[in-house]
Amino acid sequence: MSIGLCLALGLTSCKHKEGEYHSVVERIEAMSADYDSVTVSSTPFLGEIETLEVHVHGQRFLIPESKKQIKGFACTECHTGSLEDLPKRRKKKAHWDIKLEHADSHTMACTTCHNPDNMDQLTSLTGSQIDFDYSFRLCGQCHTQEYKDWSGGAHGKSLVGWAPPRASMTCVNCHNPHQPGFPTKWPVRFNSQVQKERE
Amino acid sequence: MAKEKQQKKWFSLDLGSNKQTSANSCGCGKNEGGCGSHKPETTSRPDGYRQYFGQKMDRRDAFRKLTASLMVGAGAVSTSCSFIAGDESKEKAQIDWEEQFKGNYKLMTEDEKKATVDRLVRSYQLRTGKTLKMSSQDALDNVLYGYAFNISKCQGYMDCVNACVEENNQDRKSEMQYIRIHEMQDGKGFNFNEADDNYYHEVPAQGHFYMGTQCFHCDNPPCVDVCPVEATWREKDGLVVVDYDWCVGCRYCMAACPYDGRRFNWSKPEVPETEVNKDQHYLGNRMRKKGVVEKCTFCVQRSRAGKDPACVEACPTGARIFGNLLDPNSTIRWVLENKKVFRLKEDLGTEPKFWYFMD
Amino acid sequence: MGRFKVFKSLVRDSLDITTHGSKKYHFWMGFLTLVMLVGMYCYFLQLEEGLAITGMTDRVSWGLYIANFTFLVGVAAAAVMLVMPTYVLKDIDFKQAVLIGEGLAVAALIMCLAFVVADMGGPSRLWHMLPVIGVFNFPNSMLTWDVLVLNGYLFLNLSIPFYILFRHYQGKEANPKVYIPGALLSVFWAVAIHLVTAFLYQGLQARPFWNNALLGPRFLASAFAAGPALIILVLALIRKFTPFVIQDTTLKKIAMVVTVAAQINLIMLISELFKEFYAPTHHSESAYYLFFGLDGKTALLPWIWTAIALNVLATVILTFHKLRNNFNILFFACGMLFVGIWIEKGFGLIVPGFIPGPYGKIAEYTPTWVEIGVTLGIWAMGAFIFTLLAKTAIGIETKSLRYKGNAKA
Repeated sequence: MSIGLCLALGLTSCKHKEGEYHSVVERIEAMSADYDSVTVSSTPFLGEIETLEVHVHGQRFLIPESKKQIKGFACTECHTGSLEDLPKRRKKKAHWDIKLEHADSHTMACTTCHNPDNMDQLTSLTGSQIDFDYSFRLCGQCHTQEYKDWSGGAHGKSLVGWAPPRASMTCVNCHNPHQPGFPTKWPVRFNSQVQKERE
Repeated sequence: MAKEKQQKKWFSLDLGSNKQTSANSCGCGKNEGGCGSHKPETTSRPDGYRQYFGQKMDRRDAFRKLTASLMVGAGAVSTSCSFIAGDESKEKAQIDWEEQFKGNYKLMTEDEKKATVDRLVRSYQLRTGKTLKMSSQDALDNVLYGYAFNISKCQGYMDCVNACVEENNQDRKSEMQYIRIHEMQDGKGFNFNEADDNYYHEVPAQGHFYMGTQCFHCDNPPCVDVCPVEATWREKDGLVVVDYDWCVGCRYCMAACPYDGRRFNWSKPEVPETEVNKDQHYLGNRMRKKGVVEKCTFCVQRSRAGKDPACVEACPTGARIFGNLLDPNSTIRWVLENKKVFRLKEDLGTEPKFWYFMD
Repeated sequence: MGRFKVFKSLVRDSLDITTHGSKKYHFWMGFLTLVMLVGMYCYFLQLEEGLAITGMTDRVSWGLYIANFTFLVGVAAAAVMLVMPTYVLKDIDFKQAVLIGEGLAVAALIMCLAFVVADMGGPSRLWHMLPVIGVFNFPNSMLTWDVLVLNGYLFLNLSIPFYILFRHYQGKEANPKVYIPGALLSVFWAVAIHLVTAFLYQGLQARPFWNNALLGPRFLASAFAAGPALIILVLALIRKFTPFVIQDTTLKKIAMVVTVAAQINLIMLISELFKEFYAPTHHSESAYYLFFGLDGKTALLPWIWTAIALNVLATVILTFHKLRNNFNILFFACGMLFVGIWIEKGFGLIVPGFIPGPYGKIAEYTPTWVEIGVTLGIWAMGAFIFTLLAKTAIGIETKSLRYKGNAKA
């Protein structure tokens, strides 16, 4: 009798739960068809961070504002005149820490991005002004693929969490615009137990 | 409620795990953030063999009766010992007793969940004098968690591993780590055999790329099917979780996992008191005991609050993307729809919710 | 009431007979007790320290315990090879052996359950599996199937011989109408326990070494070789040390069973080896590790080649009638076969399933002394239980143990 029972159960049991959905992607599509909202929000985690909403490639999301993070903004507090009027000296008297390692000197110089006539603004390749808060537009001129990926969320990081409203870091939150590459470094840890196990 | 019906349909096909206690209160528990909508309760009919073999209520009732009778015995013992035992040690004994004979978290009611969490918090307080915060928050509605990993961005710094160990209170003695970063050679494809997942040299190494693995929270998880006591299951939001107090430690799930996603506490896990993360979830980073299986939960204590898992937050390169697969406007959905994504060992039919992609 | 009295008397007589015996008997039981005590001490250490005290790791998460468990399920299942001819085909030559075979099955099953418990990380939480108060993930988990079939088989193998012995104890004949259905059931059940145990591994897509359709049949073949081989050895010992009469033809017929099973087992081994090595794929790496070593890791090589040599040699010896019919050679061959299959189906099967790991990483497994101590303790417990059962059964069957309370009987 118990064998019969086992058989009956064996027949009714099915390890895979195909049924309606064949794959998780199908399931996602079906279940998100009438998605409305979730009960959590990332707003409380933003805390002190001031954000501004941007609209890029049809995506709307928040990024942290940048200008207040720049020490000594506005630049015109020092740079009262045009950059061209600055005396050309061998030795820098300010911005010692800034070393430009972004593409090569044929491609990029200070004024490729900084507006020499209005230091409070950045400049596009065609000479139109770009606000410091919207510096991603500057980067997006050359790094088009990254720009697109960033606008969708495939490049870069989210600011505080996955919950809506979407808040993403902007280019300069991770990359130093003057040296955008990441340095090599040592991994932060090494697992000695794993090493031992595999000996 | 077409949505709920649909969700239920999915779950009732699942012979083992259809006991999703439908949240009659909002799922936000202790958490801040408004949640006005109290969904009416949908009671799930017993399914499959359970129609014939007693249902959860019977089981729970029987269980309650059993604990009650045991408790009477324990009470008798403890009152007879009350001359020597102080109130605190009596309380400790009481908690230990109730914890030993509590039921499976998956089948608990909201109140029972609260009770066990309160007991655990109190027990920790009695033992260490420290207070911790433990949540029993249920899955959020309209959420299915997913993860994407950019193999052209990862540089192998292992900040994620560090963050994970600290966030999830993993055993320091055995150096348990949920995440492995595999250093792969360019031009050799995804050759895990020749990859090094325990490197120690300056990274990124010339001619190499990096690929992280952890629990993929499969939609058809083989580990869940094999568990003899349903101590591990897939939650409504897609997280594959373990009830550490229900696990008997047979390690069948470890044998069944094709992704090396599970870890076992071979000895009593040790975390220095000062390093204990006190923001905990019952299904997540609370302290484990020896002889139980644990795994990545996408940091359930964080993700259900709306935050990213610790690995995502710690990654300095933005290689890790986390989000709600059901939200058509989420970044994870954008990645799935716009990048060339793939998953590991897709042929096994496990349907991981963890995708890889390249720039 | 009357039955209960008889039962009480049986227990008393059984206690009496099992506590009395020759010096050799006492020495044997004392030795087993000592080994069991050592095993218990080792298990105590394991409970204190956790499974970290064993050689198992996250990489190789099952070891000696599960290996022995798997093997012993086979030994238990092998009783069917004696039950079927005796009860179903009514071959009287097997009649003497069958009670011993069933006793062996009982001992093997208890050892199986002990090995599973020894392997658990939280044995105090095992009640989570009990019906009503626990949660039993049936039918999804093959482990729950295994728990059911093993306990069912244990029940069958306890109840049928008990019924027969109980009748014989009272000097009555056992009623075939009562035990034949049970015996028939146990025939199917024996196949089931071993197939289900094979499915435990076979159903894991994560482990290509196990995930092949031949595993179940191969389990059966090797079980029907190793189990009866052990029965032959045990019968030989019983013949030597007790007045219990076992005909030569009985041993020869069991030897025939062993031979056929060993031959089939060897054919399946060849089929497996062919598949793994003629067109090796990514999935053949475990087999490579087992037979040739991988990345300089060669811990299993001496074992598996010893096993293959033993298996082949024993099968060849058994195949020749002349050799097989010489009892000394037969016993020797059975011993070889038993050891060979124990290695091959024990850690020769379990450990390579985990190596290389899901991401190609190799961490080798060596059992620790604590683990070996627990294992030996459980084997000693099995031998102890079997000796007790066999001594009582032999007492009844040789008519030296009879119910005296009832004058009519």
